[in-house]
Formats: sequence, C-alpha cells, structure tokens
Amino acid sequence: MAFLRAITVLMPTLLVVQSPRASEYQVKAVFLFNFAQFVEWPTVATPDPQLPVIIGILGEDPLGTFLDETVRGERLGLRPFEIRRYRDLTDIKACNILFISRSENERVTDILAALGKRPILTVSDGDDFAKRGGMIEFVTDKNRIRLRINLEAAQAANVTISSKLLRVAEIVRTPRR
Amino acid sequence: MTRARTLFLILVLALTALPARAQQRDSVEALKRLTLDQLLNIEVVSVAGRPARLSETASAIQVITQDDIRASGATSLPEALRLASNLQVAQLDARQWAIGARGFNSTSANKLLVLIDGRTVYTPLFSGVFWDVQDVLLSDVDRIEVISGPGATLWGANAVNGVINVITKDAKNTGGLLVTGGGCSELRGLGSARYGGGLGAHAKYRIYGKAFSRDPTLLPNGQDATDAWHMGQGGFRLDWDASASNRLGLQGDWYDGRIAQPSPGHIAVSGGNVMAKWAHPISAKSEVTLQAYYDRTHRDIPGTFGEDLDIYDVDLRHHAVLGARHDVVWGVDYRLINDHVTNTAALAFLPPHVARQWFTAFVQDEIPLHGERLHVTVGTKIEHNDYTGFEIQPSGRVNWTFSPSRTLWAAISRAVRTPSRIDREFFVPGQAPYFLAGGPGFRSEKELAYELGYRHQQGALVLAFASFYSRYDDLRSLEQVNPPNPTPIVIGNGQDGESYGGEATASYRITHDWHVRAGYTELRVHIWPNAGSTDTSRGATESQAPDRQLFLQSSSDLPAHLRLDGVFRYLGEIAKQRVPAYAELNARLSWQPVAALDLSIVGQNLLHKQHAEFGTPTARRQIERGVYGMAQWHF
Repeated sequence: MAFLRAITVLMPTLLVVQSPRASEYQVKAVFLFNFAQFVEWPTVATPDPQLPVIIGILGEDPLGTFLDETVRGERLGLRPFEIRRYRDLTDIKACNILFISRSENERVTDILAALGKRPILTVSDGDDFAKRGGMIEFVTDKNRIRLRINLEAAQAANVTISSKLLRVAEIVRTPRR
Repeated sequence: MTRARTLFLILVLALTALPARAQQRDSVEALKRLTLDQLLNIEVVSVAGRPARLSETASAIQVITQDDIRASGATSLPEALRLASNLQVAQLDARQWAIGARGFNSTSANKLLVLIDGRTVYTPLFSGVFWDVQDVLLSDVDRIEVISGPGATLWGANAVNGVINVITKDAKNTGGLLVTGGGCSELRGLGSARYGGGLGAHAKYRIYGKAFSRDPTLLPNGQDATDAWHMGQGGFRLDWDASASNRLGLQGDWYDGRIAQPSPGHIAVSGGNVMAKWAHPISAKSEVTLQAYYDRTHRDIPGTFGEDLDIYDVDLRHHAVLGARHDVVWGVDYRLINDHVTNTAALAFLPPHVARQWFTAFVQDEIPLHGERLHVTVGTKIEHNDYTGFEIQPSGRVNWTFSPSRTLWAAISRAVRTPSRIDREFFVPGQAPYFLAGGPGFRSEKELAYELGYRHQQGALVLAFASFYSRYDDLRSLEQVNPPNPTPIVIGNGQDGESYGGEATASYRITHDWHVRAGYTELRVHIWPNAGSTDTSRGATESQAPDRQLFLQSSSDLPAHLRLDGVFRYLGEIAKQRVPAYAELNARLSWQPVAALDLSIVGQNLLHKQHAEFGTPTARRQIERGVYGMAQWHF
C-alpha cells in the first residue's frame, strides 16, 4: 500500500515534459514572484516588516507547483513568501498579490468590486482583465507574455507600481460610461 | 517476488524522477534570474499553438531586445547591430556602414538578408544595404533577431551568410505619446514623437515622426570629410484584430534626407514603403499569412549616379501541423523590381532601365523524433530569377535537447547569391571604351555550409557556441578580357574560397540589478583564384573582416532611479586594408525620476579622440568621440 502511494506521488514529476522553452504558467509564476519586487504597498498592508508576502490564487489553480517552486526559500527583505489558495472570496484575509484564475472569468467584475480599494495587487490572464478594472493582465501575444497594467486601478487601491514595470507594459484604462 | 518487483519499479522511478525534479528547479532558477525584458521575450508553450519557430531552429541566433537597444544608447540601426557579436559591423563615415556575417564584409557586403517587419531592404542594385536610409523609431523596436549562417531555405534570397530581422512592436503595445529629444557632438540633434491610440475596441494605431542631424567625420589629415547629413522620417502602423480568425495590419514609412559630399552638390535620398498583412488562423493547427508591400527608393549622388527603384512583393505562407508529427511551413513569393539608373561620365549601369522578377517557393518540415527531444528539420527553397533561371537551396538541421538545459544542433545548408545588377550590368567609365565592361557571364555564387552549435543554460548563466565551416564556389572576380593586357576587365566567377570559425556568447545575471553579456567571434576567410582565372585580388574586395572580435556589455540598476550601462568592443586588425585593431567603449547613465521621464547622457567611442574602423589608408575616415544628452517623456 505504501509503495502504491509512493508511485502516485512520483508519477506527476515524471510527466513533467522538459522543453527548451518555458511553460506558460512557469513564466507566469516567475512574473508573480517578480511583481513583489516592483510594487509598494501602503504601510497599513504590512504592519510588521517580518510578515510574509502572501501570494493568493483564487479559483482553479493553473500554476500547479510552479509558484511554490519559484518562491521557495526566497525573501523580500526580511519577509518570506507564502502561497495561499482560496476557494472563495470570503477566504481572502491578508493578501498582497492575488492571482485570479480564468475559471473566475464570469465573476471578475464582482470579485474586483468586492475587493474594492483593498491594497491587493490583482493579476489575471482572464479576457480584458485590466480593462475590467484589474491591475495587471497577462496577455499572450505570438507566444510571448505581455503585460497590461491599469494604473488607475492600482492607484485607487494605493498600490504603487514601479516605473521599471510600467516601462515594459501597455497601460490601459477602464472605459468610462 | 511481487514485492521485490514493486521495489525495483520504485527504485527505477525514483532514479529517473529525481533528476527531472532537479531540472525543473533549475529552469525555475534560470527564469528567476532573467530581467523583466528577457522574461517578456521568453517563448511560452501555450496549449493552443506552437511556439514561434525562430529560437528553436538549429542555427546561430542572437536576439537584441528593446532593453539592450535602450541601454546601449544606440541612435541608429547599425549602432544597435553592434550588440550582436555574430555580425561584423564597421562604421565607414558619418552615414555608411559595412555590415556582414561570417566574414565577407565590405562596403557592398552582399550575402546578408535584412528585413524590417518582413520587408526586404537590401537593394537589387548590388545585393547590399544602403544603411543610411534604413531607419526605424528605435523605441518602437520589439527586438532584432540576428542569425549568422545560411538561412536561405526559410528566409529567402540573399541569406547566404546571415539574416537580420528587425521586428517593431505591435501597435497594441505602443499607446500614448512618446517624445524624445537630445543631441550634442557628433549626433548634432535628434528629435522624435510618436503617438499611439485606438480605433474602436480591436484596432490600434501609432504614428511617428523623427529627424536628426549628424556631424561629419574626419579625413586622415584631420580635415572635415564633408559628410555631414540630416534626415527626416515619418510613418504609421495599424494593427486590427478584426475577428478571432482575421488579423490585419497596415504600415508605412516615408523619409527624406540630404548628405554632404566632397564633390559638388548634395546627395539626396528619399523614399517610402507601404505594407499590408493578413493573418488567418484556420484552426489551432493551421494558419495562413499573406503580405504585400510596395517600396520606393530615390537616390541622387551628383557626379556618380542616380537611381529610382520600385519594388513590389507579395508573399503567402501556410503553417500547418500535419498528422501527429509533421510541422510544415510552405510558401510562395513573387517579387518585381523596376529600376531606373541615371548614368554619369564616371560609371554606368547598362541598360539603364530594367524590370526583373523573382518567383520563389519553399517548403520545410520539422519532425520530432525520440519524444520531443530530437527535432529534424528538412526543407528546400526553389527560386527562379531572370539572370540564372532556377536555383535550389536545400538544408537539413537537427536539434537535440539532451537535457532541459543543454541543446546540441547541427546543420548542412546550400545557399546561393544570385546576380544583382552590379554583377552583370556595371560599366566604368560611363562611355566606351570601358575599363570595366560588365559581367555578361556572371553566374550565382554558391555556398555549402556545415554548422555545429551548443546551447547551455545553468542557473543565471546562458552560454551558446556556434562553429562553422563553409565552402564557396564561383565567387565574384575581375577577369582580364585579353590577357595579359590588364584592361579591359569583366566581372566573372573566377574565385573559390572557404571560411571557418566560431562564435561564443555568454550572459550572466550577477545580482538582481546587475546583468552582464559577452560575445567573442573568431573567423578566417581564404579566397583563391581557380584555374584559368586572371584575378589577382585574392578576395581583397570580397571580404574585409577582422580575425577576431570581443564584445562586453554591463547593465546595472543603481539606487536613486539611476542606471549605468556600458558596452566595450575590441576588433582585431583588418589585414587586407591594414586597419589597425581597436578597442572602444560606449557608456550611458540614465535617471528616471518618475515613470514618465527618462533623462540620459551617452558617451560613444570614449577611449580615443578618433579612430578608424574600415577602409584603405587613403580612403579611411576617422570616427570621433561623441557625447550626447537625451530626454524621453512618455505621456
């Protein structure tokens, strides 16, 4: 019985197909980790400088173990990283970076409205995420990942995005009605 | 017994699984070391489509990113191309450059294919590039892909020794107003403005304008070489995602410039192009792209020659995954040129007016073998031209990824350089009796190239090596018509040659804020006359390149929004012209107080007051040290 369990644990790692290129979500995981270094949160969001940087995933998790691998052993100053997976919006307590899965595409507007002006960097690869009021959207264009940033949305939540990140991104606005 | 077998199975699984696990960590570590710009340039494997093919092709490719260009302080395409250590780049005077790959560099280097957004920019006049009129707004460049070695099968005619592929950003990624201005010495002044906006939800556009003025270089005696120039250029690009299966693009550029020359009058250059593209994904496994452009060039060099050239080009290609294994690209291309040369007493192209056409078809199949680890690519190009009829350019390539971080590749290719006007129709002086009486019998130059390369990524270190041996037949020569009389002469195919060497590059991220790159190229070219030839040049006019060159680049983010970049280069002696070896340094210090504003000061060729890079001792120009300041505002 124990042997069988060992096999089922080992199998998934065997199935990781190695490629000279990177898998889409491997790169996205690295972006999520990098964002922490290019974003400043208001001090209310991190009262204690030793609290972990929390990267949350809302909805079906497409990142697998990539994000965990990426942040393992890493620190932002004194702060370690921590990954949390949320089933529901109400589970989100302290969170610095929130990746919203495509599975939540239908509800994105409601999710963003519910988060309101909480200082959480919202990231997603869902359609038109930035235009719908999200802060950073991953767009895959000709097999390369592009960033779209809704600067107004970030500013409204008091999240400061570094110019180094803005420089490589396309800046979009929420269309006014 | 069963228990023993299970135990054995687990042992095997553990042994094979653990390295896989370690390798995954390796690649994560490598990704974490990349800069944002590099991360944005990583090709990703998405479920729907296959990745773009370029970096997985078995060839010696180097990519110059937007960040590299900005960091280098380059203000022109040739300056940016110095960042590719697999190119030989030499500045002749204020506006002329000699750019080649794998040796064979000269003022009329003719074995390189240069593309800007898919538009071929080498001239059918001599198969080389007038670099003074190939300009783009550098801040709108997405990346420049530089391939050394033959790329003829997939890329097209003239890709004998390399391909330079300049790719500008999609209009989706160039929103807002970007204003740049600056100048000082050498680069007297440069100003540009670009605005990007939307037309409805799915169409984006940008328009731009730029102008610059450059100082003259110096003659060997220290006097002004009378080659100061100024130029203006404008253009637009529209990208329209009309529907999921129809993406349309339209773009164009216009330019106009005046260049001083020592003889009376000014050189006048002007031209423009307009290009339409249509990409039509039929399914997840099949896409058709159609591209058509018109390109016009006017050049008037008083006392030497004048030219009006119109080029029409239509290209269709289809990329499809056939069955489980075959990844096929095929395409057809039609090209028509209409060239009017105004002859002078000094030289003549006869007949002065020609219309020529090219028909091209190619097919390439990539087959994965042994899982996804081994890829075999075979293909051929068939071209028909008005000078030599049909030409066939096949290639075979193998790419073996024997571990996630190590790739070995090898290739054999045949490439030809078909005749251009200068090879057949060039007469000196402008009237009989001629000293040089064209090249009525000139045929294509042929190359057979063998390449072997290796890429390795270990954590923050990325290494690549490419080695090559090429054999050339029927290289261009000058043949006496009535030997032993030294004149008249005609252009012939009386030389053969070989070249060999290696190109190495390394990139290493020392800390999060400090990134270094290095490139080293060693090459040898030997050219000799074949039996019966009366050419005595031994290739002196065909290849003028240093035996070795070294390039080092350092980029670091400093506190207080400062950034410091430096590019050092060393080029060996060009023995055939007795140009001494030289080393030079460019440096850039920039300050970005707010996201929208970037202020920089750039020093070019800082190590010497002046130096020469190319040309025989009397013809040589001295390139001076230059310093300029630049401000860029992004609204």
